[in-house]
Amino acid sequence: MTYIYELENITQSYAGRTVLEVSELKIERGSILGITGPNGCGKSTLLRILAFLERPRSGRLLFKSIPVHDINEQLRREATLLLQETRLLKRTVFENVVYGLKARAIKEGLTRKVHSALEMVGLDPEDFAGRHWFQLSGGESQRVALASRLVLRPEVLILDEPTASIDANSARIIARAIVDAREKFGASIVLVSHDIEWSYSAADEVISMFSGKIRSKNIENIIQGPWEEGNDGTVLRYLEDGQIITAAGKPGNEYSMGLLDPGDIILSLDYPGNSSARNTLRGTVTRMNLEDEGRSILVTVNIQDTVLTSRITKGSLSRLGIVPGSTVILVFKSNSIRWA
Amino acid sequence: MHYLSDGFKAAFTILLSGQEETFNAIFTTLKVSTFSILLTLAAGIPLGFILGYYSFPGKHACRAISDTLMAIPTVVVGLLIYAFISRSGPFGGLGLLFTLRGVAIGQFFLGLPVVVSLTASATEQMEDSTRLTLMTLGASPGQLAASSLWEGRYAVVAAAMTAYSRIISEVGVSMMIGGNIKWRTRTITTAIALETGKGQFAEGIALGIVLLSIAFIVNGAVSVARKRAAS
Repeated sequence: MTYIYELENITQSYAGRTVLEVSELKIERGSILGITGPNGCGKSTLLRILAFLERPRSGRLLFKSIPVHDINEQLRREATLLLQETRLLKRTVFENVVYGLKARAIKEGLTRKVHSALEMVGLDPEDFAGRHWFQLSGGESQRVALASRLVLRPEVLILDEPTASIDANSARIIARAIVDAREKFGASIVLVSHDIEWSYSAADEVISMFSGKIRSKNIENIIQGPWEEGNDGTVLRYLEDGQIITAAGKPGNEYSMGLLDPGDIILSLDYPGNSSARNTLRGTVTRMNLEDEGRSILVTVNIQDTVLTSRITKGSLSRLGIVPGSTVILVFKSNSIRWA
Repeated sequence: MHYLSDGFKAAFTILLSGQEETFNAIFTTLKVSTFSILLTLAAGIPLGFILGYYSFPGKHACRAISDTLMAIPTVVVGLLIYAFISRSGPFGGLGLLFTLRGVAIGQFFLGLPVVVSLTASATEQMEDSTRLTLMTLGASPGQLAASSLWEGRYAVVAAAMTAYSRIISEVGVSMMIGGNIKWRTRTITTAIALETGKGQFAEGIALGIVLLSIAFIVNGAVSVARKRAAS
């Protein structure tokens, strides 16, 4: 097995505050790694280090098994990052997409390469190549920005929330283009997204981050505060529709985040009569994704403003007979919630 | 108020009849201001970019000096340049006094702080995401600097137009260095001052209309450039 990145005891700090502490992370060459976690958990910092935009304060970083000491444009030309806030250059679409090729002094077949990259992101080159940056919608701008990276056929494609704040059609096309990048030229992909289901369905591996650390190499539900004290040593999170999540133990503070493994949530069609579980919440199934080569299913359930994901077996699915839109009861114990 | 309305009527007559003396002042103004602004931009844009883009000891002092000089009175520039190029000055031998070349040098020093400060501001205000975008696309340090300047081109154009407005409308340098010599160094502004002093409002208003028209065109261009810079 060959790794494109190997990180050991990598830390980063700004103004004396440590924002990233990664004890170990290995990213397989040609794989898609998904990274999830709340805002400010260190995801973007990790991406900047992987994209060689900043040097870690300490630790060991290997790229293609070679220790990285100095960061420069030669390294950045192998690992390109699509930023969360797309900033197209103030030029035409063609000039935006061709910029990286020209920076690399590539002169052959520029038009063909640019057109091919635009087609990968679903933009008609005849229609779009001559447009200026201000003549594009948000989704089109993001697709042009992605095309500007795809045209480079980078060894590593790093994406920071590529589908946030854009229309559904653009998001679908971008998701497809990212998978194509691996299939067509074997790019290793690192993907940060709040869309846990998409991350999980697209990525070979998903890691969760919290407070600058990798908390889990599995998908996690994050339940945000405010938490209120209950009567019996528990804490309660009141949901918008009046339902309550009960958690055991003491959170660090009112707004601490509770972590809940999807495997700890049982789905049922009715309220269980004799369960010891403290939490029984009614919700609506919004999405179902296969994982582990179809052996298990991730079921996303919306409970008003809260989204929880449950992992169930194929057998449970056929027994329950649920589909997106079904009403289900989520059952989990109060001590299944761990504090971040 | 009759003299004002009569002045406007006579001004249009002068402009439409193509009075040679008036048009000579207009062409002289355009010639010297164009030369001055080109000189100012050639020096001011690189200096402003260096000031805004790079960090170096004394950067803040340079910026403070440049910002202060943006408001320097034109007569003070005229006075200083006069002191240097007059017969008894260190560059007296170059024969620049009462020539358009001398006026251009004065206007260069008048416009330079404007271009330097505004280009530096435009470069400083360039969003961090633009710089990061260029880096993620593999730009080398040289390409990063050149592309950053190009990305800020609309703001730089706005700086150039602002400097041109200051140059074309100044009177102090043109009067003190050029000497307001008929057919040679008389510009629109010095001619207006002279004609008004003589009570010849019509000529003054005619030249004022031309100057205002140029100012409108330049400000229109600045407005378009600023909009593009902000988009």
